[in-house]
Amino acid sequence: MAEDHGSSRHMSASQKELGDEDARVVRVADAARTNERLDLAGNAVRTAKYSPLTFLPRNLFEQFHRLAYVYFLVIAVLNQLPQLAVFGRGASVMPLAFVLLVTAVKDAYEDWRRHRSDRAENGRLAAVLSPGGGGAQFVPTEWKHVRVGDVVRVVSDESLPADMVLLATSEPTGVAYVQTLNLDGESNLKTRYAKQETLSTPPERLAGAVIRSERPNRNIYGFQANLELEGETRRIPLGPSNIVLRGCELKNTAWAVGVVVYAGRETKAMLNNAGAPKKRSRLETHMNRETLFLSAILVVLCSIVAALSGVWLHTHEEGLELAQFFHKKDYLRRDKDNDYRNYNYYGIAAQIVFIYLMAVIVFQIMIPISLYISMELVRLGQAYFMIRDTRLYDESSNSRFQCRALNINEDLGQIKCIFSDKTGTLTQNKMEFRCASVDGIDYSDIARQRPPEGDRIWEPKISVNTDPELVKLIRDGADTEQGTQTREFFVALATCNTIVPMIADGLDPKKKVIDYQGESPDEQALVSAAAAYGFVLVERTSGHIVIDVLGEKLRYDVLGLHEFDSDRKRMSVIIGCPDKSVKLFVKGADSSMFGVIDKTVNSDVVQSTEKHLHSYSSLGLRTLVIGMRELSQEEFQEWQMAYEKASTALLGRGNQLRNVAANIETNLRLLGATGIDDKLQDGVPEAIEKLREAGIKVWVLTGDKQETAISIGYSCKLLTRDMTQIVINSRSRDSCRKSLEDAIAMVNKYQSFSTDPQLRVPLALIIDGNSLVYIFDTDWEEKLFEIAIACDVVLCCRVAPLQKAGIVDLIKKRTSDMTLAIGDGANDVSMIQMADVGIGISGQEGRQAVMASDFAMGQFRFLVPLLLVHGHWNYQRMAYMILYNFYRNATFVFVLFWYVLYTGFTLTTAITEWSSVLYSVIYTAVPTIVVAILDKDLSRRTLLKYPQLYGPGQREENYNLRLFIFIMIDSVWQSLACFFIPYLAYRKSVIDGSSLGDLWTLSVVILVNIHLAMDVIRWNWITHVAIWGSIAATWICVMIIDSIPIMPGFWAIYKVMGTGLFWALLLAVTVVGMIPHFAAKAFSEYFIPSDIQIAREMKSQDFHDVTRPEVQMSTDNIKWTREFGKFLPLSLSQDAAGQHNIILHNINLGECCQCQPRWS
Amino acid sequence: MPPPLSLLRPHDVSSGSLAVALYALLHHFPRTFPPPPPASPSGHSKASLMDPLEMQDDSKKSNKPKYSKFTQQELPACKPLLTPAIVISTFLLVGILFVPIGLASLSASQEIVELVHRYDTNCVPLADKVGFIQDTKTDKSCTRTLTVPKHMKNPIQIYYQIGDFYQNHRRYVKSRSDKQLRYKDAAHLTKDCEPEVYGADGAPIVPCGLVAWSLFNDTYTISVNKKAIEVNKKDIAWQSDKNKKFGSDVYPRNFQNGNLIGGAKLNESIPLSEQEDLIVWMRTAALPTFRKLYGRIETDIMENDQLTVVIQNNYNTYSFGGSKALVLSTTSWIGGKNNFIGVAYLTVGGFCLFLALFFVVLYMIKPRTLGDPSFLSWNRCTLDYPN
Repeated sequence: MAEDHGSSRHMSASQKELGDEDARVVRVADAARTNERLDLAGNAVRTAKYSPLTFLPRNLFEQFHRLAYVYFLVIAVLNQLPQLAVFGRGASVMPLAFVLLVTAVKDAYEDWRRHRSDRAENGRLAAVLSPGGGGAQFVPTEWKHVRVGDVVRVVSDESLPADMVLLATSEPTGVAYVQTLNLDGESNLKTRYAKQETLSTPPERLAGAVIRSERPNRNIYGFQANLELEGETRRIPLGPSNIVLRGCELKNTAWAVGVVVYAGRETKAMLNNAGAPKKRSRLETHMNRETLFLSAILVVLCSIVAALSGVWLHTHEEGLELAQFFHKKDYLRRDKDNDYRNYNYYGIAAQIVFIYLMAVIVFQIMIPISLYISMELVRLGQAYFMIRDTRLYDESSNSRFQCRALNINEDLGQIKCIFSDKTGTLTQNKMEFRCASVDGIDYSDIARQRPPEGDRIWEPKISVNTDPELVKLIRDGADTEQGTQTREFFVALATCNTIVPMIADGLDPKKKVIDYQGESPDEQALVSAAAAYGFVLVERTSGHIVIDVLGEKLRYDVLGLHEFDSDRKRMSVIIGCPDKSVKLFVKGADSSMFGVIDKTVNSDVVQSTEKHLHSYSSLGLRTLVIGMRELSQEEFQEWQMAYEKASTALLGRGNQLRNVAANIETNLRLLGATGIDDKLQDGVPEAIEKLREAGIKVWVLTGDKQETAISIGYSCKLLTRDMTQIVINSRSRDSCRKSLEDAIAMVNKYQSFSTDPQLRVPLALIIDGNSLVYIFDTDWEEKLFEIAIACDVVLCCRVAPLQKAGIVDLIKKRTSDMTLAIGDGANDVSMIQMADVGIGISGQEGRQAVMASDFAMGQFRFLVPLLLVHGHWNYQRMAYMILYNFYRNATFVFVLFWYVLYTGFTLTTAITEWSSVLYSVIYTAVPTIVVAILDKDLSRRTLLKYPQLYGPGQREENYNLRLFIFIMIDSVWQSLACFFIPYLAYRKSVIDGSSLGDLWTLSVVILVNIHLAMDVIRWNWITHVAIWGSIAATWICVMIIDSIPIMPGFWAIYKVMGTGLFWALLLAVTVVGMIPHFAAKAFSEYFIPSDIQIAREMKSQDFHDVTRPEVQMSTDNIKWTREFGKFLPLSLSQDAAGQHNIILHNINLGECCQCQPRWS
Repeated sequence: MPPPLSLLRPHDVSSGSLAVALYALLHHFPRTFPPPPPASPSGHSKASLMDPLEMQDDSKKSNKPKYSKFTQQELPACKPLLTPAIVISTFLLVGILFVPIGLASLSASQEIVELVHRYDTNCVPLADKVGFIQDTKTDKSCTRTLTVPKHMKNPIQIYYQIGDFYQNHRRYVKSRSDKQLRYKDAAHLTKDCEPEVYGADGAPIVPCGLVAWSLFNDTYTISVNKKAIEVNKKDIAWQSDKNKKFGSDVYPRNFQNGNLIGGAKLNESIPLSEQEDLIVWMRTAALPTFRKLYGRIETDIMENDQLTVVIQNNYNTYSFGGSKALVLSTTSWIGGKNNFIGVAYLTVGGFCLFLALFFVVLYMIKPRTLGDPSFLSWNRCTLDYPN
């Protein structure tokens, strides 16, 4: 809970205090005047990027942000110069035009869909108050015409057209229920209130009232404004509970009337609509390095051609004048000296420059243009399969896997470090009340707890087991001191919250089902627990609550409420009790509560509660401390004045309210503490184990306290019993430094006496937020890093959202390790955006994390199939595809290059220009894309069975410089075979350029496709169609080109196919070209097999292999933690004294060695 | 007022018992409950059956991706492995296939009788070759006598072979207008023909461009044992070119009347489709030393026959240092005489047989059980737990 609420602080601009100068002035029911001076957005939304007019320029502009496209554009432009025209105009522009067109069509389609949905959205109708014509009435108006200042009436189940301040609702208390599913994914109902002051006034009479609100911002949990009614000077404060947002639906409320304060693109929903930030995959970054190498090769090739052409021109200079094939002079035109003019000849130097540029044009596909579009298509295909994977579908939240970022799929195969949030990510964030310590007595024995018995009218939806002793105490002990305390405790649980009960008829007509709706799952659990013990919250309005205390309905007036904030880490309510006393109930985190509890009263209770708290958190429970104080009349009045002043303050309201709260929340009497169990999600321990087996470090960053974190660590198998724990929790800068130094010494010691990796002791670092503050404030980051990388597990507790990002950054900056952050709440957003890959859990806590993430899914355990299976595949496929594309285009370029050496270095190509252009677009593109989408090096089952197979991705084994060099050598060899075998066979023969060109075209295409075929691991029918089909397509294309009479190569292919030599050469080229690749493959697969190779062989040998079920979760993690509870460091008390400590759990090294099999 | 639908959230229901679900169904949604979908054996329909919300609203339908072999990437597939047997048999197969092909082509090439006679140096005076050849007045005939080494079966192809003539030079290959060659009214389409576009009178040349302009113009008159034999110059060009590429109604015009004569002249009364020498010439050669078909002798020539060739040595290869040769050759399926392809096949076949042997030896020296888990890297270094 602490995390959840704390988050908004870091995200919001609305916490900034509201000053008059930057306030927005909204005149209620007077849209004309509201919009008069200010430039306010209309309510029409426009998510579409283009209009028909702007589409072309804008889309092109966006596309040319890719440097590669600029390169190809420059080349196409060069080609238009008459001296350099290597290709015909059409042929030279085609590849770029094709790529641009495909992308443009894709963009246009997407935009058309956005236009359509915009139109639908803008055309919806809303009832807007219209002053004209026989008194005010609500007139249906299209959403796009709704303006700021309009008063809108919404009925149940209708969507809200804009962000509105509630003025009145059908409920007499002014409450309205909204479902924010579309906005933040939370399906529970939220309560919003209309202010008492506006509630009873008919909306048309509110005209003249003025709302001053903060400027539009994207914080959906924050809002600050005030309302000034006409003729009154008092300003009524408005907060987040008074505003309903566009995109939400009104539920369970007959109608609600509100005034629009933000419309259209300024609504919070729209402001939150920004896409995920652009990230770039590691593979793509590396690819750029190889692209540079290719550019270098290109430059070298062009320089060679240019230089040789210079030499050639020089040696042949005398003959050129009369050489029939050169015709240096234009014998028709004379220049001023009455000499014949040179025809297209400007001297050797100029000729060299032209040749150089022409070489660039001819060899341009050395840099594969189609690669960029292929990669996009492949990622799209990979995303399709990830989304469609039934194993990544979460039944409980009915959510599929989502790919929000389309350009980092392959990064999933290279993750080395996972940063995980705890609540809602490792755990379910479904809170269950487990135990309580009331008045110093521990009621935590689960074995004794029973389901509540007896005839109960109220049936909470979440049933909580009760401790019979406690039940008895409540029922019978009304007169004892202990009994009173216990009752107060449960009254506190039932009152000190923001839960709204929703009552429905039960199965049994005498019973009522209560569903507790609220934003905090912890509070739901607490209220349900109170209900189980007989303190049933049955009604809440903005002014009072009704609690059914053991069958008797009592009304408690809510006089004031200090909302939770992450600085105070507590909330409080001031309650006017039925007995006319005024009581302050406070609940909060123990760290903050023990500071405000009067320890002199009942010091033994305080002590024993502290002990209980510690044992609760050791069990992995989330703890809260409850305290109270009875307020005297004077105290109350003093508070009330301060509160009213603060809550209407325009400047610094937040701070003032905090101060008021802090002033009253003092000298509390300790009532007790609660332990709430946040169950682990299904399969988390197994998932973590698998991930660690895969060599991925898992770090847990949580806002919980240390003991809770450690015990969750044990229960999810993050921490194991043979680990040595290094705990750093310091209260001061100096002690922090000392801790760090000691820890480094410790790490070094352990590392030095266990140089042998088998003997290495696993280390776990547990560090808290306070220490992190000191570390990030100073320059000790390096030290922390040194410790952290030496540790197998890092647990950070009590960390603020920004610290989470800081930790991710720590690793990202200092290592090349790929990082992944996973979380579900708004507090994880910064971390998710910081990490290389951010994953959002679409769970209980809304959609903030999902919105910021690159991928979103329903459960933590999906990480295993996502990384180990899809990540592995994606990486392997993409890596292969990039290398293959380089190879494929290089082979073609080299073939062109060899020929150029026999044409007087003049960049003639025997291969027709159309084949050159179509080569990387049609002849060879489809198979790579198909293979990169469909090929699997290993089956899902094998990959899950041997998580270590994830290693190749982490070690970048599928794409590195070595492989690049190998494949380039192969490419040179194949081009040599492809060029020189026909060359030598056709030397001094009648062969014409087109026939030889066709032979070369076909043999290159066959070679590269066979090369691909040789590397394909799984042959399904699609692969067959793609590979053999593209060879056939090439053949057909060549035939078509050769069937055009006005092409120079007319009929060449048919002619040459009629000769035996053609077929003999085709076969020879294919075999000679493939022998090295085949032999090397056969050799390396057998004699230096990779793990993947062995796993493949195992797979094919063993068909009956059945793996363990992927998910099998023990529901009782409490037992598990208990077993290891004795290993937990008991460091809380020492710590309170401000001392640092490092607790090391020495373990028996001999024992450790035993756990490692086959140690030699 | 009915209770809000959202009170029952999907996970609440599905995680609860069936009773809860029935309860929900009976009490809140009696009328809107449609007939249950056909039960699926996988049991996935349970969720949708239990969640009334999903029944109510299409948008709340289960998002569960549909199972298909394609979407789950489980298409039936063949997964070939490079086992020793496959590797060795592949090499053996290639070897066994290639050696006979190599032998066959070698013997075919050996059977071809080829007579190559280079005459460019002998047919001009040593001093000023270019001057000699450019002078239109000198007699350029040149008689050469050759002895036939072996019996030559008809048809005997007569080629001229030009060396170091870059018919594939960029300036050259581009300088032609294929439209003009084919269509009668396309004579003006001379854009690409620079610098041979217009004749002296300014009208377009047909056929324009460097390629046509440089038409070879040496001629050969051949007699065997002093007896003249006929050289058949019909059908030396591709039939497809004659029929489709060169127009039968396109006649040469303005050809070869510029300031510099590139080569042969054309008879302006014969359509281009009949100008077979031109058609042959315009199929530009791929490589700088090339042959072009000149004609055919349709009688056998016996061993040791004396061939007398009278050459009209008109064509200027001297200015750029090119060579000219006359070639007489018999034909076979392999084309011209070229041992290369046979040797290449034999070499490759032999090499593959060697590789097969090599791999056999390797597999015997260092055998490995396929798919032995103990070879996995993490098993090899005896550590069961990475990090």
